[in-house]
Amino acid sequence: MSSSHDHADDSEHEGPLVLAVSDRHPRVRTIQVVRPEAQDTTYLAATAKGFGITLKHFAKNLFLPLKKLSGRANAGAPVEERFRNDIETVQYPEEKVTYPERFRGLHRLTLRDDGSTRCVACMCCPTVCPAHCITIIPEESGDTSIEKRPAIFEIDELRCVVCGLCVEACPCDAIRMDTGEHAKPVEDRARAIETRETMLARGVRSIATQGGEGPNWRATAPDTKTDVNR
Amino acid sequence: MKLRAHVILVGWLASLVLGLAACGGEKTTPSVCEGAAAVPVACTQICTPGYPNSCPAGFHCEEQKDGRGKCDANCSANDKRCGDDATCSAEGRCQKESIVFRILDFPGTKWIFLILALVMPLASILTWMERRQSAMMQDRLGPNRANIGPIKLKGILHFVADAVKMIFKEDFIPANVHKGLYALAPILAIAPVFIAFAIIPFGPTIYPHAVTQTLDPTLLAMQPNADMFREAIRLQMFQVDFGLIFYFAVLTLANYGGTIAGWASYNKWALLGGLRSSSQMMSYEVAMGLSLMGAFLVIGSLEPGFIVMHGASASMSASNPLNWLWLWQPLGLVLFFTAAIAETKRAPFDIPEGEPEIIGYFVEYSGLRWGLFFLAEFIEIVFVAAVVATVFLGGWQVPFLDADGFRIGGYVDEVTKVSVGGWYTPLPHGLVVALQFGAFGAKVLLLCWFQLMIRWTLPRFRADQLMNLGWKLLLPLALANVMVTALIKLFFM
Repeated sequence: MSSSHDHADDSEHEGPLVLAVSDRHPRVRTIQVVRPEAQDTTYLAATAKGFGITLKHFAKNLFLPLKKLSGRANAGAPVEERFRNDIETVQYPEEKVTYPERFRGLHRLTLRDDGSTRCVACMCCPTVCPAHCITIIPEESGDTSIEKRPAIFEIDELRCVVCGLCVEACPCDAIRMDTGEHAKPVEDRARAIETRETMLARGVRSIATQGGEGPNWRATAPDTKTDVNR
Repeated sequence: MKLRAHVILVGWLASLVLGLAACGGEKTTPSVCEGAAAVPVACTQICTPGYPNSCPAGFHCEEQKDGRGKCDANCSANDKRCGDDATCSAEGRCQKESIVFRILDFPGTKWIFLILALVMPLASILTWMERRQSAMMQDRLGPNRANIGPIKLKGILHFVADAVKMIFKEDFIPANVHKGLYALAPILAIAPVFIAFAIIPFGPTIYPHAVTQTLDPTLLAMQPNADMFREAIRLQMFQVDFGLIFYFAVLTLANYGGTIAGWASYNKWALLGGLRSSSQMMSYEVAMGLSLMGAFLVIGSLEPGFIVMHGASASMSASNPLNWLWLWQPLGLVLFFTAAIAETKRAPFDIPEGEPEIIGYFVEYSGLRWGLFFLAEFIEIVFVAAVVATVFLGGWQVPFLDADGFRIGGYVDEVTKVSVGGWYTPLPHGLVVALQFGAFGAKVLLLCWFQLMIRWTLPRFRADQLMNLGWKLLLPLALANVMVTALIKLFFM
């Protein structure tokens, strides 16, 4: 209590008049606010100040070139950033914000060297999928070293929550979400279902080495970082 | 039946042609030179048209069809020689007003010109400008996409899109509204604003026969009825001594639009909005009228054309910016501008409307009827800008541009009241008129921009703050302004 009284005494000399002080938090105080009468009646000073602020913004945004935003197509003349205006708006169809590198877009199925799908229908992705949006019906592939391939591979993009767990779960690098495309708007729900064919059409050749080649396969595998098809 | 209709039509046309021919062939009292007996010698003299002294005194040079001149006796204002439909000019010619001049000088023509050339384009562009300007002030881009094919014009075409949208919306009339008044209210809101434009002088007097020459203001002051100055077109529709009073009287009617809209809508909130509109109008109309009384005391006239033509002081040219009323009535300018913005019912005085939340008087209106209320508001912005420009900022006067050209540092001749001397550059009359009309447009545009700045800078007043401002601040200040102006005028001028 004594310390709070000290505070009150101090503030009588400098600062506002303290009417009450909280016991628990001495810094929480009720003070008397004295506003100059003129400000309440004329508004002129405050009006002039506010007018200056809006005028500054208006002139800056009217006369200075656009900001350099990431993805802005033409940001105008080469001007220093502090001589640019404050407008942040990206004009969407003409200008697009570049997505981050790990943006999860529409799914794609990757291809082998011979153009067939890398998917071996192991059912990892429909199992891990929290939205149950992946449907796989396997069939015999005819190749005994591969055993299975998907006869039907469907993803309902309306149900997909874009979590990326299917990509994590895939042992064969067969499904990826690195297309950078959005799920497109559709007029009926059936059109939102991605089929094996549409996802293969988006597909790229993957040269990631699949499992089953022994414990030292990493040492002999080609450098995936320089994959030109990625 | 068909034949009879044709006969009537042909007969009607024939009578029209004959009637016009009869009018054209009407005889007037002949000149002395056309009399049969005792023709003066001067009548036979050949002269050169355009040279003033090529005929004897009492005669002037009349151009013949072959281009040569022939002397003819002068008419005078007293004799009947010129007939009823022509006047006698200073040079002694009978001047008949052409039909083109009569059409151009008709107030309706001027009104249509003003509305189509200045008011409606400006009001339409303001609807876009308001959104775009507010966006610029808030670090946004604003509407910039409306286009016709590749023509985009930074989005100015948005007003076309808005108009098309509002025209094709359903004209919905809610149940239980008073149908007649409901339909009348938008018209009552917009019509008075159009009418009030009648008093605005939107350009100088045009002398069509002197467009290519440099005007001689001294000659104009001494001989206003000279040949050169005939068929003058004054760019003001309604020239009356009570001009500004007419403006107050007419524009106050626009407030009935809001009040009646609120009452006719059969909606409590709309009715409250209408009442707010009335109460706001009452608190501002008094201060507004009084704030212009100071200007009236300085100039001695309430005719806007007179104010622009003469300026505050007779010892300076009216085109001198120091002679405009902003310097002589600074407080009056601030008070009038504040009250006029309140009259347009826009922020910070948009208590009657309160578009986003407190629901104004046009809550039950939709489509083009609602659009009319908004158009009326934007036209009121243009009108307020025009009045402030006319009364306080010299109207159509271009700084230092007199009727005969740019002049800096001249003095006013005491007899003719025309400024002479100083540094002077002559300009043809047509160019002067164009510059002055452009200056009026520029001033109006600038003041519209300023009103938009105010609207997007200040937050709305509370109702009690509004009443305080109107009755306790603006009204006493306006009274003090009148008082001080009167005392200064009494003791120092």
